[in-house]
Amino acid sequence: MSRKHPQSIALAKRRRKDFRCDARAVISANSLSNRRVISIAISSQKGGVGKTTLSINLAHAFARAGLNTLLVDADPQGSVGLSLTRQSRLLSGFYDFLADPGIPMERLIVPTRLETFALVAAGQASDYEAGNGSSGSHLARVRAFLRNAAARRYDICLIDTAAGLFGVTNDIISSADAIIIPQQAEPLGIRSVPKLLEGLNRLRIINPRLNVLGVCLTMIQQGLAESTEAASALRQLLPEEMLFQTAVPRDEIFIRASAKGLPVGVLEDGKGAETVFDSLRAEVQAKLSKSRGAATYQPH
Amino acid sequence: MDPVNPWLDPSEVRHLAEQLLRPVAPARLSAADPGFDASFVGFTSGAAVHVVPEEMSPARIIERQVEPEYELSPPVAAAVSQPAEVPEPPPTAPSRTRFLQRVYIFRDWLAKNFKAKDIFILDREGKVIFDESGHGRLHFMARNLAIASRGSGNIHVKIGPSAILEVIPCETPYGRIVLGALVPDSLPADHIQTITEVLIQTASPA
Repeated sequence: MSRKHPQSIALAKRRRKDFRCDARAVISANSLSNRRVISIAISSQKGGVGKTTLSINLAHAFARAGLNTLLVDADPQGSVGLSLTRQSRLLSGFYDFLADPGIPMERLIVPTRLETFALVAAGQASDYEAGNGSSGSHLARVRAFLRNAAARRYDICLIDTAAGLFGVTNDIISSADAIIIPQQAEPLGIRSVPKLLEGLNRLRIINPRLNVLGVCLTMIQQGLAESTEAASALRQLLPEEMLFQTAVPRDEIFIRASAKGLPVGVLEDGKGAETVFDSLRAEVQAKLSKSRGAATYQPH
Repeated sequence: MDPVNPWLDPSEVRHLAEQLLRPVAPARLSAADPGFDASFVGFTSGAAVHVVPEEMSPARIIERQVEPEYELSPPVAAAVSQPAEVPEPPPTAPSRTRFLQRVYIFRDWLAKNFKAKDIFILDREGKVIFDESGHGRLHFMARNLAIASRGSGNIHVKIGPSAILEVIPCETPYGRIVLGALVPDSLPADHIQTITEVLIQTASPA
C-alpha cells in the first residue's frame, strides 16, 4: 500500500481548503448581502434521463466543496429519497409542505453523514400531488419553501423536479434562480428539445431572472454510435454556452451507487465518477459567477 | 443517419436556445403608467417576503401575503345593488370576421366605454392571446388572480393611485380565458356582466 508523503498531504489539504474558499466566494458573491440560497432546478422534458443521478451527485459535489447544500426531491416518484435512505418513504417532505406550509422545516430536513449535505424527501402528499394542479397554484408555497431554506443558511438548494414542464415543476422553475437540463444522448430525447426550449421561454416571462445554466448530456455510451452521434448532433444544434462541457457517461457504477443508497463518490471505486460531478460543479459555479453582475436578485 | 434534422428545424431550435441565453428585460412601466411605481398599493410590501423568522409559521406568512392583496368581487349574478348605466355592446362583427378583428372591436369598445387600457387576454394555460400592455408581470398577476378566484367571478387589484387591474375570467366555447385591463376604478357588477357577455360573443366561433 502506498503512503503519501506528509508534505503532499499538507499540500492536498491546503488545495482543498483553497478550493472550498473559491467555491464559497463564488456562491456568496451571487448571494444577497443579507444572505440567500441559490436555487437550481434540475428539470427535463422527458423522464428517465438521469435527472436524479445528476441531482444527487451534483449536490454531493457542492457539499464536498464546503457549501451548505440542500437537495430537494420534488419528483413525486421520490427517487432521491428512494435512492438515499430506505426510510425516506415515510418522511414528511416537500409535497407535505406544499399541502401544509405550517410544517416546520426541521421536520422536513434529513441530515446526512456529510455535515454540509441535507435532503428533503418528496413526502407523503406526493402521491396525490403527482402532476396535478395547474401551474401557479403552488407558486406562493414553493417560494415560501425557498425562503425558509434561505433562512436556514443553505448556500445551494438543488431541486430534482418531475419530468415535463407542468404543474408544480413549472412553479419551481418560476421560482428558481437557475435551471440545469439533463438531456439523454439519444435521438428520441433530442426530439423533445424544441418543446423544452419553448416551455422555458414561456416560463422566463414569469421568472425573468431564471438563469438557464445549460443542457448537460447524460447517459452517453461511447461504444454506441447512436449515442455519440446524438451527442454530437446536439452539440451542433445548440449554442456552445447552452451546453455543459461535462457529460455524464452511462456507467454501471451509478446503478451500484443507488443500490447502496449512496452518491457515487462514496463508493471505493467511485472517485473517477466523482470527478465528473466535480467538473460539472465547477462549470455551474463559473456560469453563476459570470451571470452575477447581470442578475440582481429581487425577493419574490 | 442524422438523428436531428429529419425531426426538427435546427434554426428554430437555435433561435429558441439563444433567446434563453439573453437576459430578459424585466417588465417596466413608463412613468406615465400607473402600475408598479413607488405608489404601488396591491400585493405585499418587500419587507414581508424577506427571510422568514424562525418563530414565524410559514402558513402565517402566506396568510399575511394574501390577506390584503386583492379584493374578491362578489359573484356577478349575486350583486346588483346600484344599477349603473350599462353601455351598449359593440356592433356585431360580420360572421366571417377573423377572431383577431373581433378582439380589436372588443378592445375599442372596452376602451371607449370603460376607460380601459393595457388590455390583454390570456388563454386557459396563461398564454397571451392578445396583448397591448407589453407587461409580463400584469399577465402573471392576472393569471394568478384568476386561479385564486377559482370560478367565483372577477377580481380586481389596486396597482396604483388611479389604476385598477380588473381581471375577468370567462368561460367560452374555446375554454376558459382571462381578460385583464387597467381601469381607473373598479367596475360594478352589471358592467362586469356586460363585458363578460361581449367577451364570450367575441371569443365564440363566427
